[in-house]
This record gives sequence, C-alpha cells and structure tokens, in this order.
Amino acid sequence: MNSGLYQATLGAAVASQAGRLVLLAGVPLLWLVFMHIGPIYQMAKISFLVQYPLQAGQEASYTLANYAIFFSESIYFLPLIRSFIFSFAATAVTLIVVFPVAYYVAKVVRPDRRSKALLLLLVPFWAGELIRTFSVIMLLANRGALNVLLRELGFIDRPIPMLYTSFSLGFGLVYLICLYMLLPLYSSIEKIPKHLLDAAADLGAGPVTRFRRIVLPLSRDGIVSGCSLVFLTCIGVFATPMLLGGPTTVMFPETISGFFHGASDKWPVGASFALIMLVSALTTAGIFMRLVGGKATKLM
Amino acid sequence: MRAYFNDIPRTLLTMAYWAFVLYLLVPLTLMMAMSFKDANFVAFPIGDWTLRWYAQVMQDRQFLEACLYSIVIAAAATFSATVIGVWIAMLITKASSRWSGVLFALACLPAVVPGMISAISLRVFISTIDLPTGTAAIVLGHTVHAVPFVVVMALTRLRSMPPNLVDAARDLGADSIIAFFRVTLPYLGPAIVGGMIFCVLLSVDDFVRTFFLGGYRPTLPMLIFAKVQGGMSPEINAMATLVLIVTAAVGLYAEYMTRRSRSR
Repeated sequence: MNSGLYQATLGAAVASQAGRLVLLAGVPLLWLVFMHIGPIYQMAKISFLVQYPLQAGQEASYTLANYAIFFSESIYFLPLIRSFIFSFAATAVTLIVVFPVAYYVAKVVRPDRRSKALLLLLVPFWAGELIRTFSVIMLLANRGALNVLLRELGFIDRPIPMLYTSFSLGFGLVYLICLYMLLPLYSSIEKIPKHLLDAAADLGAGPVTRFRRIVLPLSRDGIVSGCSLVFLTCIGVFATPMLLGGPTTVMFPETISGFFHGASDKWPVGASFALIMLVSALTTAGIFMRLVGGKATKLM
Repeated sequence: MRAYFNDIPRTLLTMAYWAFVLYLLVPLTLMMAMSFKDANFVAFPIGDWTLRWYAQVMQDRQFLEACLYSIVIAAAATFSATVIGVWIAMLITKASSRWSGVLFALACLPAVVPGMISAISLRVFISTIDLPTGTAAIVLGHTVHAVPFVVVMALTRLRSMPPNLVDAARDLGADSIIAFFRVTLPYLGPAIVGGMIFCVLLSVDDFVRTFFLGGYRPTLPMLIFAKVQGGMSPEINAMATLVLIVTAAVGLYAEYMTRRSRSR
C-alpha cells in the first residue's frame, strides 16, 4: 500500500480533512439519499402527475385526482381494508402462537441446549417465501394431506375445500411470518433476569401472576418490534395471496400490481395507491409502537 | 403436590414448542415427500415412489439456467450490498450522536417499507433514471433490500471492537484508510461473512422485487411461481426440494459462522 500511486491518490486525500470526509461519507450519503429515499420520492412525485409518461417538452402538472380514484370504487378500497384485517389477524395469531414457544426456548430449555432448540425453528425459515407457500398447498389442497387424512379416519366423505379460501391464506401468512415474531420475542424474553421470576415465585406469585406482572411488561420491547415487523411484512406480501387466496381474498398488493402491468400511463394511479398503503401501514405501526411501546422502542 | 402443580406450565410449554416444530416442519416434509410420487399429478396418498422427477429436473435446461441466473444476481447483489453496508456502518460509527441516529434510521428504511411498495417504488425509480428492467435493475433492487441487514450486522460487531486497536495502528503510522483495511476490516470479517450469506439467501428468495424489476429471464422463485400457477406436478416438488436442501445447508453454515464469531 506504500506505492507512489497510493501516495499520489488516496494517500493525498486522506491527508486533508476534506478528503477524509469525502472518502468516509461520500458513497454512503449518495447511496442513502438516492437509493433509500429516491425511489419513494419518485413514486410520490408520480402519484400526483396528471399524465405519465410526459411528452418531450411537456410541463408536469399535478393533481390529487389519482388519490380520489382510490375512494371512488369499492374494488379499490376493499382490498386495502382486507389487507389490514388479514395482517392484523395474522399478527395477533402469530403473537399468541409464538410467545409460549419463544418463552420455552429462552427460559425453560437448559442454556447449553438453547441454540439447538432455536436452530430447529430456523430451518424452515431458509426455505424461502415461495417454497413455504407452496408447501402449504400440499397440506390443504382437496387431495392434500389433511383432507386425505380426515377421509381415511372417517370424519368426512368428501374433501373440505380449504385451499383458495381465507383460511388457507391466513394459515399461509402465519406460516410465512411466524419466525419474524420469534426472534425479537426470544431476545427480549431471554434478557429477563431469572432471579426476578424466582423471587416472585418465593413470594407466592403463581404462574399467571408471574406472567402478567413480570414476563409481559419486561418483554414489551420484543412484542412491539415483533408485531410491527410481522405486520409490515404481512401487508407487503405479494405472492402468497396470489397462490393461496381465492377470488374473494384479493389483497391490496395485487390491486396495485394491476396498474403496473402493460403500458405505463396507469402508473400515477398505482403509485398513489402504493403511497396510500405505505403511509397507512407505517402510521398504523407507528401508533401501535407509541401506544404499547413507550419511547425507547426501536424496530431493529 | 405443589411441585406437581408448578410443573404444569412447564409441560404445557414443552408441548407448545414441539407442536410448533411440527407445524413448521410438516408442510415442508409433505412437500419433499411428494417429489418422490410416481404419477403426473399431486395428490395424497403417494403410492409408488420414484426418483424420475429428480432425473427430469436435473436435465431441465430452464431450471438449470434459472439456478445460474439466481446465483449470478445473488453474487452481484451481495458484493455491492456488503461494500455499501459496511461503508454506511463506518460512517454511522464515526458520525456525531445526533447524525448517527438519523443515518441509522435512513439506512434501515428499506427494511421497514413493505416488500410490495419497495418493488413498485424501485420500478418507478429505474424508469426515471432510464435503466431498463433486467439483470442490472434486479441487482440494484436486491442490493437496496440487503443493505440494512449488512449495516445492522456490521454495527453490532463494530460496537464490540476495542477502540485502541485502531489507535495503535494510527500511532504506528497508518493513515485512516490503511487502518481500516488492516485492522477494522479483518476484525469485521466474521460478521461480514455471516452478513454476506444472509444477503445471498435474501436475494435467492426474493420474489416481489424480481417480479417487477425483471425481464423475461426467470430467476428461481419466478420459475417456481410460474410453474405453480401453470399447474401442479411433482416436478415442482423436486425442484423446490433441491432448492430447499441447498439453501438450508447454506443457512446452517451461516448460523455456524455467526455463532463462532460471537463466541470469539
């Protein structure tokens, strides 16, 4: 690194205060501004355009009409409401299902076995979004494992239609996202000092009281970040509703994507829809964090 | 008697854990089992078993090309996300406390924006900078998606780094660039390897960004999506099983790496 070339180029830059600043901050700041803010900014800008793409030399004119379209037809705003309902339900179910599991791994399992117990839960996580969604079809299809099992046991004569319904979609969403809940919950429960629980038990607090007075308040950070993460992931899932849902369970991402197929003249409407979803989802997550989490909560 | 009652929650929790493990593994196991079915349709019970779907998949040009394409994209996205993510992490550690909070929030932004919105905004963005849909656009999208995770992993490791390591290097005459490459970067090594494997998995798994940013060449998730929509066949199960085995092996290795880096 001591070659003349280095001295003449990078070495010289490092020698001056301004050079050091550019080397340290240049690329990161450009990236953050252009790639983290840029796309959202462009999407917001297009959502107000009267016409897109602009003809050569045409002045851009702005309007709110694209947003009005959203409120005008129920085929537009119902999917968003449906997306919210499904995401809320999936978040609540995931929290209830995963909490005991996270508590078990963090507090009941012996410390030396803890990482193995956690690893067993992480394996399906590596399968990826589409493969996990696909595997749910194997379980719930008309000739899937569950229906065949029920028929063999004599409970049903003909298969219960489970696939392409709200049930299969909810099942699939929970299956897809439950591990986003597990990790934040696990890390916050693990930090609860064991002697607090022991002391409470010595003073006569039963399992329910200990859970309500110690475990629940002290794992609040994990609950808040887990729920926000799951909710925001869930609402943005695109492939799973298309594969597991039916005609009555069209979600908002599918509605938005309709505007981005084919020619780009419908983009402003699609962009305004996307922005409506982004703002409403982030606001919901923000309100939830403020209500439940207090000030010091961070998402990551 | 009291001890007996105290064990009830413990038993219930153990049962909850194993029920959850079952819930996680059963669909994937069914999916893998179906790949051995000796028939052209997907239905239980499996009946006769065969390996012919695997033979067919291994000769399927479309599948092999999609694998290669996914790997190329993942490698490019991982490389750029690692460089940029570590760079951002360095800036955050050097910045004053007021700025580092803002920068950290900004760096994490793509991780909290729902996937669909991220994909749409990138689609709009690449058209405003006249970048056509295709490989470069996919790589850009995957990089944006992966950067926050690299930043968080690198920052976690940087926080545990004794500051006197860099001070010592500077005392011995290294300028800040040389100190970074000779001291900080090697210290970050394990976190970077863990982060890179995570980026690869994110990229190979990504569907929604690829769907909106890609051209006609399918990546693995796009191929599987198209096949599932086109009709079920155990061939898809064989493909998915192969992908699952490879990604799980990579994931296990990453877990092992990060664990080793934490214990050192």
